[in-house]
Amino acid sequence: MAKCIILHGRGIVEGYCKAQALVSTKPISFLGDVDSETGIIIEKKHDLYGISIKDKVLCFPHGHGSTVGSYVLYSLAKKGLAPKAIINHKADPVIVVGAVIANIPMIEKIDISKIDTGDMVEVDAYKGIVKVLKTEEG
Amino acid sequence: MKSTYLTKEEEHIYDGEFGWAKQVCMKILVKLGELFDASRLIPIESAHVSGVSYKTLGEAPTDFLEALANAGEKVNVEATLNPQSLDPKYLAVRLPKHLIEMQLKLCKIFERLGFEGSFTCTPYYIKKPRKGAHLAWAESSAVVYANSVLGAWTNREGGPSALAAAIIGKTPDCGIHRAVNRKPKVIAEVRSSLENDVDYGALGIFLGKILEDKIPLIKGLKNPSMEHLKQLGAALASAGMVNMFHYKDEVKTEERLEKIVVEPKDIKETVGELTTVPTQKPDLVFVGCPHCSLHEIKEIANTIGNRKVRDKIEFWICTSRLVKEKAKAYVHKIEASGAKILTDTCAVVTWTDKLGIKTIMTNSAKTAHYAPTLNKVETILAPLRECLKTALKE
Repeated sequence: MAKCIILHGRGIVEGYCKAQALVSTKPISFLGDVDSETGIIIEKKHDLYGISIKDKVLCFPHGHGSTVGSYVLYSLAKKGLAPKAIINHKADPVIVVGAVIANIPMIEKIDISKIDTGDMVEVDAYKGIVKVLKTEEG
Repeated sequence: MKSTYLTKEEEHIYDGEFGWAKQVCMKILVKLGELFDASRLIPIESAHVSGVSYKTLGEAPTDFLEALANAGEKVNVEATLNPQSLDPKYLAVRLPKHLIEMQLKLCKIFERLGFEGSFTCTPYYIKKPRKGAHLAWAESSAVVYANSVLGAWTNREGGPSALAAAIIGKTPDCGIHRAVNRKPKVIAEVRSSLENDVDYGALGIFLGKILEDKIPLIKGLKNPSMEHLKQLGAALASAGMVNMFHYKDEVKTEERLEKIVVEPKDIKETVGELTTVPTQKPDLVFVGCPHCSLHEIKEIANTIGNRKVRDKIEFWICTSRLVKEKAKAYVHKIEASGAKILTDTCAVVTWTDKLGIKTIMTNSAKTAHYAPTLNKVETILAPLRECLKTALKE
């Protein structure tokens, strides 16, 4: 039996998608933490180290680090390596600008602790709604 | 939903009627405006864009900037650039060829976008902004200087938002574009007599670490020079989030503000922390962070006299092309000593490792704060006269 949770936030960059969630409890700096050639997290201290963000609904608290990180999101998108959507607890300028130029749907003010890596997630960034489809275990 | 009020023309740009490039730049401004509760966009008199050094950024900006340039987009206001990773005279012949090519490629794209090839962190020496002018500047040291010393109004932009503002010619009216947000939030009472450039820089680092984003009224500065205030602001911004400070006695504070007392030991300890080695033997003596003013170059030329740079030490004085041109009379005298006047770049944004540099002596607290991480070097922070003494033969 699948369970569905609906979370309400604020849409930042419009768009819609349905994809698997990849959830981190740590902030991400796109300049430095992510390899722009592969879309893989290369910062060893990060909890997503070694994992690709490609085609995922990437959920993390907020961005940090250089404002140039926005440009990395653009390069990733151009190479087809970007996440399908971005869900933040708190939007910050680096991620907002990155999502705008890369045209990635983005929502903020979401309690990301309600989402687990692997959940199927429906993102409606026009309305700021995230639908999380949980598969009941065992 | 847009909460920022847009004019008809801005609305059309936002909807893409003037093409993708303008649309994406307008979206950057509007979305950031929404994030920080702007009510509208306001015209700016100039933009200063960071994110130019290939050493610091790699290829990250190239794809997006190239897409804008290919769309035929150009800046709409006076727009200057931060330093790049090499100068045309000295480093361009010493660094690996492929790095030089990548840097030149990035510079070429900025040129296609209509930027001036200014390559300086002190754009205010090229053209001093008017008091009260609204600007969109990145480069935190210039932001603090413009707001605090020159009385212009700018938020601390990031590379991409300054770029978008340069192309649209506007910025959201949030943050310290509003008078109410420019008032001091805390008083910093300096009980230490600040002797030189290093003491002012150390004060900046000390305060930057504790102020968070609260604008200080710094009391107790005794006739600081413009260059002292430049060091203070650069350090303040590099150690923290602050984008301006007040320092004049006539500044009125309305409420009882929180007070921070800065004792002589705070300055002394901060200077000590910014020196990472006990030796006084650097490979490089570096002056010009932020880029030197004409006045500083004159002072250096006069102090050098007929002395020569010591063997096995490099002495760099970094400034902008324009200031070097203005300083012609002093440049010859300085370079005759064996010192190098580098333009367009500085020690922090170039590949010091590829030049064999392991220890840098500098009079800049900002450089001493960043270089251990960004250049993987040891640092010695010392006042200008000490730097000159170390660099030059008796």
